[in-house]
Amino acid sequence: MRLASLVHLASLNLRSDRRGTILNTAAACVGAAALVFFVALGMGVGQAARLLFPGDARLIEVVPGAVSLGAALGGGALDDGAMERLRELPGVQGAWRRLSLRVPIAASRAPEGVRMNWPPGFTVQVPVVGVDAGLVASDLQPGRRFDDPPAGEPIPVLASRRLLEVYNKTIAPAWNLRRLPAGIDLVGLQIPVQVGFSIIPLKTEEKVYDARLALAGLSDRVPLYSLAVPVETVRRLHREYGKSDAGYSSVVLELARPDDVPSAAAAVRRMGFAVDEGERAIAERVGLAITVVAGALALLALLMTALAALAIAQSLSASVRARTRDIAILQSLGATAGDVRALVLAEAALVGLAGGVLGVLIAWLAARGVDAAALRFLPDFPFRPTTFFQFPPWLFALGVGVSASAALLGALAPAALAARIDPARAIS
Amino acid sequence: MISLRHITKCFRDGEREVVVLRDLDLDVAAGAFTAVVGPSGSGKSTLLYVAGGLDADYEGEAVVAGRDLRALSARERAAFRNVSVGFVFQSFNLLPALPAVENTMLPGLFAPPGVPAPSIGQLRIRAMEALDRVGLADKASRLPAHLSGGERQRVAIARALLSRPAVLLADEPTGNLDAVSGEAVIQLFSAMVRDGVTVLVVTHEERVSAAAGRVLHLEEGRLR
Ligand SMILES: Nc1ncnc2c1ncn2[C@@H]1O[C@H](COP(=O)(O)OP(=O)(O)O)[C@@H](O)[C@H]1O
Ligand SMILES: [Mg+2]
Repeated sequence: MRLASLVHLASLNLRSDRRGTILNTAAACVGAAALVFFVALGMGVGQAARLLFPGDARLIEVVPGAVSLGAALGGGALDDGAMERLRELPGVQGAWRRLSLRVPIAASRAPEGVRMNWPPGFTVQVPVVGVDAGLVASDLQPGRRFDDPPAGEPIPVLASRRLLEVYNKTIAPAWNLRRLPAGIDLVGLQIPVQVGFSIIPLKTEEKVYDARLALAGLSDRVPLYSLAVPVETVRRLHREYGKSDAGYSSVVLELARPDDVPSAAAAVRRMGFAVDEGERAIAERVGLAITVVAGALALLALLMTALAALAIAQSLSASVRARTRDIAILQSLGATAGDVRALVLAEAALVGLAGGVLGVLIAWLAARGVDAAALRFLPDFPFRPTTFFQFPPWLFALGVGVSASAALLGALAPAALAARIDPARAIS
Repeated sequence: MISLRHITKCFRDGEREVVVLRDLDLDVAAGAFTAVVGPSGSGKSTLLYVAGGLDADYEGEAVVAGRDLRALSARERAAFRNVSVGFVFQSFNLLPALPAVENTMLPGLFAPPGVPAPSIGQLRIRAMEALDRVGLADKASRLPAHLSGGERQRVAIARALLSRPAVLLADEPTGNLDAVSGEAVIQLFSAMVRDGVTVLVVTHEERVSAAAGRVLHLEEGRLR
């Protein structure tokens, strides 16, 4: 039997049993809709969480051990010797220093190169951390350098990629400042600052002078509420202000693979240092929770699909039994057992395809509805996603494919039943 | 055209074995109009199913339209039913959900491999021609439920003729029809015989056998 004939007859049969066709399509549709909806939700929420916590799974942050313990174990200070030993650990590809600046820096004028309604007399303390250029090299805008500049030149700084979003959603509304347009290119912006000045009067240094910070790029490796400058700049300022440099604030290790993290962290602890789990741990826990919940929901959807297959099997079996005589008539006209089997399978496949397409459509519409509701009812928090769903093209194919396969699977037994009908017996 | 030799057919009825056809012989020449008459339950339908390749569970030899039915596989038997014979039944055996034209098209959907298969559109045209031949072109889109008994049987005849078979097998074709409709069916059979089709009708009605060129009696499993 040719495909065109098969589809022709199968669709005639489906049209004549409208009720059964609608019920079976609905069964197939519910499973496909649930599957696509939950998988899209899991991927969308996972993506939103990665934006919120862009922790790099291959980085660990080493911090000095607790003072008493550190001394006892010979650990403690993160100095150049410690750096060398950390670099030697198996799986470590890079080790970069971080050193917090202990000289206060404050900004009391608007950055240059961006329109901002800076309130008169308003001063903001700028937390600054020195980092090795290697840590942020890939985030530097091309052509920009990240090393301690000659006296009088602007100091290159990197800000967190998330700062703009957080500024717009929390800082600007709280302080009544103008929001910055999303997607604005802030790189190159210059911030006039006062080195040595603190908004806490007692903490202001004796020497205060004007300097400029120049934004050289945005990076996920810079802490959210601070600006990163070259580590040499921090050491120079510490020398200028007579601050001692006992060791680094932390050392960031980059590992070859995320799987190396647990063993490397254990080795770091054996050396007497501590590991700051920080955002990476949160990101991992959130990611794991999302994966588990989305996986469970997708499994539930697969179960629904299996139930749909059972429902289709039952309804098709009843339909085949009711059509025994019709099938015998087709056999008298030249239908082979294979034709009869193919006919039942084709009916199921059409139902499964229609249910799958419908289900995918419903899942997509439901997702749009949820997104619209979220936009209306959720407060505007930083990194609030514009969508909680992701619909890659393969997901549509998956929904339709699973639905059609489930329907075909359900049709196997009824098709075999139909193929066994004896025309001589059934036709009289 | 039809040659049955030593056909024996039994049915199992629980423990009992009922012999319906007993060492039956039948020869029908090409282009003949033959009637087999016999009382209800004498095995007329059984005989027709054997000759038409619907029933393969019997003893003896059956050669129909040049095909040795015993030598055919189930698939080849289906092709034989599609290409070489047409069936007409007492109860019409139309699919109730399909309009007359779709019912008429059905044999074309099962064209076996090797036979040039027409497209659905071509099939519809051929089905309309067949319906026109039985005088029903204007009722092609009606469901069987909206046709009279005589009209239904004419649709069934149009369907049986769609693939232009050499042999037409009819099982009590006028059994459910009034005198006028029955006469129309008999006229159609006579016209087909004139066109060279070999017609074998089983019936217990005098008016059908009267139109046939030869009448055989089925009694105790044999033809006389
Ligand atoms: N599938 C079957 N199982 C058992 N007995 C059958 C079956 N089909 C027909 N018979 C029996 O075979 C005999 C002949 O049946 P049939 O050929 O239909 O007779 P007719 O068509 O002449 O009325 C009847 O006694 C009938 O009961
Ligand atoms: Mg009968």
